Amino acid sequence: MTRERFEDLAEIYGGDIARWPAAERDAAALLMAAEPEFAKAALAAPADLDAVLDAWAPMAVSHQLREAVIAAAPSARPARGGVRGWFWRAGLGAGLAAACAAGLVVGVRLSDVVVQQDDTVSAVLSGYDDLSDVVIGEGA
Amino acid sequence: MDLGDPDEALLARVGEGDPAAVRALVARKLPRVLALAGRMLGDPAEAEDVAQETFVRAWKQARDWRPGVAKFDTWLHRVALNLCYDRLRRRREVATETPPELVDEGPAPDRGLQARDVGLRVASAMRGLPDRQREAVSLCHYQELSNIEAAALMGVSVDALESLLARGRRALRAALSDMVEN
Repeated sequence: MTRERFEDLAEIYGGDIARWPAAERDAAALLMAAEPEFAKAALAAPADLDAVLDAWAPMAVSHQLREAVIAAAPSARPARGGVRGWFWRAGLGAGLAAACAAGLVVGVRLSDVVVQQDDTVSAVLSGYDDLSDVVIGEGA
Repeated sequence: MDLGDPDEALLARVGEGDPAAVRALVARKLPRVLALAGRMLGDPAEAEDVAQETFVRAWKQARDWRPGVAKFDTWLHRVALNLCYDRLRRRREVATETPPELVDEGPAPDRGLQARDVGLRVASAMRGLPDRQREAVSLCHYQELSNIEAAALMGVSVDALESLLARGRRALRAALSDMVEN
């Protein structure tokens, strides 16, 4: 880095090389090490200006402003609560109950069919073509 | 170049409505936004309005934020600066009709230069800068953005930013010459 560039950077970015562009800092540090008196003189005036500028403190955030900003923030998507949630849950419960009831009815009817089929199968297996031909108590 | 955004994870939680994330993001960013608006506008009430409006826009963005497109901090600065420029423009329009009241911000004769007086002098000197120079000094000196970030925000080259900074700092030094030792 040339002396001129060092002075330019001090003029532009101030007296603290930590605030200088990252790509220039190493070269600036080398120059400071090689020519400490020059660097000290070049940084003095910009550093004084920095100190004066820093006397202007930033505005403090008031409690009111902070709370107003937070109040405007997005809230979590509501869980299914309140009246709508109650109806939703009630609907789900009713649906499940209806499904159970329907299952029960279908099950009972199916069991009747299965019993009838079982009787038919038993008759076929025992050599009868038609259960109506069976006369209970008749001898051979 | 590091493209990682340190605010991205927090912002995602804000988008989901996590109240702790909202408070954390406000703690992290509100002082920066308010400081920038305060320095650009020099008016506490207007600066608070700008900060609040900036966050209203941030909250709208939070759910739809697309990672990797821009850093959130840079985007937030851009929004705040645009809002500041809107107000400065309006102020100029009004100023042509009603000249602003001049306030003597020099040190009071009986108390010397206190820190608060220095701050007021600096504020006055900053207000005297052209808008673009004030923006450059605010972003680089006070907001501590890198030259690349500041140039991108202002839509200028790094060379142009450096020119604005050099002219701004020279004007400040001249305005504050009685307080700068060297």
